[in-house]
Amino acid sequence: MANILTITIALPLLGALALAFLPEGSDDRAIKVVGVVASAAAFVASLVALAGFEFGDGGFQLEESFAWIPAIGANFSLAVDGVSLLLILLTTLLTPLILIASFASVTDRLKGYVASFLVLEAAVIGVFAATDLLLFYVFFEFTLIPMYLIIGIWGGKDRRAAAVKFFLYTLLGGLLMLVAVLYLFTQAGSFGYQDVLALELSQTEQRWLFTAFALAFAVKVPLFPVHTWLPDAHTEAPTGGSVFLAGVLLKMGTFGLLRYALPFFPDATVEFAPWLLGISVVGILYGAIVALMQSDIKKLIAYSSVSHMGFVVLGTFALNATATSASVVQMVNHGLSTGALFLLIGFLYERRHTRQISAFGGLAKRVPIMAGLWLLVSMSALALPGLNGFVGEFPILLGTFQTNRTAAVLASFGAVLAALYLLWAYQRMFHGPLEGADNENTSDLKRSEIGVLAPLVILIVAIGLYPKPMFDLVEPAVDRVLSEVGVDTTLDLDPVASTDAEG
Amino acid sequence: MEALLEYAYVVVLLPLISAAAIAAFGKQLPWKGAELGIAALGIGWLMSVGIAWQTFMNSPMEPVEEFFRWSPLGGGFVFELGMLVDGLTAMMLLLVTTVSLMVHIYSREYMKGEVRFTYFYAMLSLFTFSMLVLVIANNLLQAVIGWELVGLCSFLLIGFYWEEKSNQDAANKAFLTTKFGDVGLIVGVIVLSAGMFGLTDTPFNIIEINQAATDGLLSTSTIVLGMLLIFLGCISKSGQMPLHVWLPDAMAGPTPVSALIHAATMVTAGVFLLARLFPVLAQSALVMGVIAIVGVITLFFGGLLALVQDDLKKILAYSTISQLGYMVAAIGVGGYTASIFHLFTHGFFKALLFLGAGSLIHAVHSNNISDMGGMRKAMPHTFWTFIIGSLALAGFPLTAGFFSKDEILIAGEIWAGGGFLTGNLVYWIGLAAAGVTTFYMARACFLVFAGENRSHHPPHESGKQMVGPLMLLAVLSVASGYLLSPFSPDQPNFETWTQTPILDGDAVYPFTVDETVAFGVQGDGVIASSGSVLAAEAGDGPVSVLHGVPSWHPDLLAIVLVIFSLAVFLAWRFYGKGLPEKDPMLQMGPVTRALVAKYGFDDFGYRYIVVPVRDVLSRWATTSSNTYIDGAVAGVGKATKSAAMATYRTIDQKVIDGAVNGSALSAAWWSDRLKRIQSGDVQRYAGAIVAGVIVLVLAFAAAR
Repeated sequence: MANILTITIALPLLGALALAFLPEGSDDRAIKVVGVVASAAAFVASLVALAGFEFGDGGFQLEESFAWIPAIGANFSLAVDGVSLLLILLTTLLTPLILIASFASVTDRLKGYVASFLVLEAAVIGVFAATDLLLFYVFFEFTLIPMYLIIGIWGGKDRRAAAVKFFLYTLLGGLLMLVAVLYLFTQAGSFGYQDVLALELSQTEQRWLFTAFALAFAVKVPLFPVHTWLPDAHTEAPTGGSVFLAGVLLKMGTFGLLRYALPFFPDATVEFAPWLLGISVVGILYGAIVALMQSDIKKLIAYSSVSHMGFVVLGTFALNATATSASVVQMVNHGLSTGALFLLIGFLYERRHTRQISAFGGLAKRVPIMAGLWLLVSMSALALPGLNGFVGEFPILLGTFQTNRTAAVLASFGAVLAALYLLWAYQRMFHGPLEGADNENTSDLKRSEIGVLAPLVILIVAIGLYPKPMFDLVEPAVDRVLSEVGVDTTLDLDPVASTDAEG
Repeated sequence: MEALLEYAYVVVLLPLISAAAIAAFGKQLPWKGAELGIAALGIGWLMSVGIAWQTFMNSPMEPVEEFFRWSPLGGGFVFELGMLVDGLTAMMLLLVTTVSLMVHIYSREYMKGEVRFTYFYAMLSLFTFSMLVLVIANNLLQAVIGWELVGLCSFLLIGFYWEEKSNQDAANKAFLTTKFGDVGLIVGVIVLSAGMFGLTDTPFNIIEINQAATDGLLSTSTIVLGMLLIFLGCISKSGQMPLHVWLPDAMAGPTPVSALIHAATMVTAGVFLLARLFPVLAQSALVMGVIAIVGVITLFFGGLLALVQDDLKKILAYSTISQLGYMVAAIGVGGYTASIFHLFTHGFFKALLFLGAGSLIHAVHSNNISDMGGMRKAMPHTFWTFIIGSLALAGFPLTAGFFSKDEILIAGEIWAGGGFLTGNLVYWIGLAAAGVTTFYMARACFLVFAGENRSHHPPHESGKQMVGPLMLLAVLSVASGYLLSPFSPDQPNFETWTQTPILDGDAVYPFTVDETVAFGVQGDGVIASSGSVLAAEAGDGPVSVLHGVPSWHPDLLAIVLVIFSLAVFLAWRFYGKGLPEKDPMLQMGPVTRALVAKYGFDDFGYRYIVVPVRDVLSRWATTSSNTYIDGAVAGVGKATKSAAMATYRTIDQKVIDGAVNGSALSAAWWSDRLKRIQSGDVQRYAGAIVAGVIVLVLAFAAAR
């Protein structure tokens, strides 16, 4: 279908537009219908894009381009490779689920809430699909505004501080990137992805530009030590905001690293890779250790995100076909499992209006379905084989081991710590004696809530059991990026040449 | 029959189907789901018997391997899903399905009236499935999956009575301790597969790894590092010291679970994996030495801990640790067949003992042997079967435990003959530990069955569904030993059944070539030979180990009988007339203190690992995140704000005056926006943004 990517971006925007023209004081029902229909339509559109996508081709596909600002040669050009298509699918899948899940708890200014999410969705799809550097930058920065509003208006009691912190952190990172983007424009004379890619940059230029890009993306991921905005943003954001933040927004950082930082600045990438591996490992362990201590379950999961996203960056900078492909798979896995966890936390919060782990206990007796799903999702997050986390984390370690053994071995201890904080939290909340009227009266998940979680849980199991489609989609694109960096991704099966891989 | 091997995967899938079916509609069935589990395991058991028969009668035979390339893992790695059916697999299938079936039948009565009865059966089936995934795996990645899934089931079943915090603590301790070892296993698998990379695109394939190792295609560093890391996984899973600490605590689970998971099957997974990779570890003297020493330490010190226990299940748990130590030690001294033979017989008699203990606990409502006594008359069937199990565990002549344990001692003797000290350790310490085993089992038996009834309940014999499995397991606790005994035929027997075809040919232990005393293994590379052959050749020239059925060893038999009689006599002196005022085991001063404190491992782990990580490191990291990093950010924020303010006041207001640029980043701008959010002006704000963007998009689309 022609211009399917533009259509995918336009559909949620049309929904937001419809909401804007909805008369003041109109029925909440109409708002809900518009929101769900528009985001579901975007999901269908992205499925159409998937149907038109040719697997096995690592280049950009479904390209479309419109003149945007002809004066400076900026185009509204979109295209996808396997990586961006996968992330678009994740975005369009999560958005309708988030909206449905939010309706029970968000009653205040519902129209603005739904509209913000639709705009946010469109912007994020734009981030993943843009092939024009300026367009990418605009989308990338634009995501800040709706997310800022979602945290700042519908968030918890310290939402203002959290929203400002979120905005400052990411904006500062973004400004550095803008400078780099403008420099690249002056060199290439165009914002086109391929034009910039064709540039021959000196080592010094690469170093500076890489640093600017990497910093902007590192804030988004977030990498240690620029992660401190995330726990606050998560804790204060409404459930839907947390799910979107963890599920999709963080991936813009890792996606950006893979799409821009690596292929644009291959020499700097190779030079800085060990540093990034080191930072990732520190983040993996640090995030996990801090998570252990948290008394607020949402903060605990927020810090676990720091740890898990560290794995993604580790895989990306292992610069190895296995690890880097798996890191893309892990982006999706993290989105699904952490998204599901935040949904569960939200459902529990609606019942109890607290997120203090100590307030709960013995809940499994009253809420067996929630407890079962919680455990399953926790197992996915701690990379239990058979679930999706494992098919991401294991190949990341496998590939990283080939390029940097120390990093791989240290990172693998993140798995032990993950088991520690997730099981400990589960135990404290759901097991033990059932005490107190609040715990006694907690009700189990409703059918609608199970319905929202169902797609995520099914994917968690399905990807764990059969990851082939994901790898098939991702691998050619990753190979293309790695070949730009100069990594040989062809499999050499000559026994003579590699008899002693150990050296 | 031949075709049966091709369908071995059905045995694996049956319990998965029953687990799903029990979870889905078990509650509506008359037996609340138990019938589904029993039926699935019954069919699986029949198939396993057929597979065992087929592989046994035709042994030695080529393994049947079937797999498909399930999924790429990026970069050319392929994740296979498949099965490898040879004697070792068939043996494990038989063991797992037999014990699991018995436990399924037994639990119907034992767990009657439990709140989560159906859930319990679903978990039993799920566990059986996971264990079978592990034993049938043709590649290490699939084995890891099964390995972790059994760990999960174990976690859920240890914490089955999760209303009690202590049970859940035990479950967590088990999961975390084994998870620590799992990291070793996973990294070890990665190391081996990295060594295989370039040789094949299926670097996890077990047969290929074994072949590459024996062909010398794997470097020494790969083998040593990889196998030691994998062994770390075995240490934690198979209860080897010092990571055994979780296993006694795991007794918090229901007793049938202890029988199935924590005695007969899951805890032997580590030994099984070592056996599967025996050709790889046999390449390195270092690896074998480490394995032997860990095994010897565990078999001795683990057994001693059973001496001071009052809880019958804990006595059995420590004896499991000790017996697993024998198996691991046997691997380390080249006793491949001896090790898995002991694994096989131990599975039956230890399951019997645990189920017997369950029957006792069911009757007296207490785990403590001090609350039992005089059970012989009230529970005759439990009594006889328990005694048979105890005799087998103690290695009394002509029971299964006798044949398999002696195989291990003899393997040690042979290894010692090759000039390896670890062989002597296994032989002598193994003998001493056998005495300890006999003593603590005799102590338990006297306290439970002799003397007066000390319980507060009138004891009664358990029903048919519990006694039946006990009797069948009692038969197997004796009969299984005759698969490899002086009475066995040359072929087929347990050794030909389970031998590893890759070890065909000479020079299994390449490191022995450089030794002064050359030590080659001929034939099928499996050490299970008669000691007499060795005794003749030990010490002078190359030791040649031939395979075949074991012969009688009058010297060893004599020592074993003396030790046995002595230990039983001592136990009778102390406990023959019921519970003594002061248990002599608790009067041994510092020895008792050390044993009661479990050598301080648990305490050490808590004080020097759990507390520092949880309370110190984690607290520090949290503070650093909140105070230092956030503080720095806040500092930058403040600086920016004042810079912006300065800009606003001096440059903007005074120099440019009225320009908008500067103010956009100033604090005033911020507070203004925030005020609007607060005052509910946001709808308009959001609406404006939305409208703006849409207009832009449409405009650019149109401008094309």
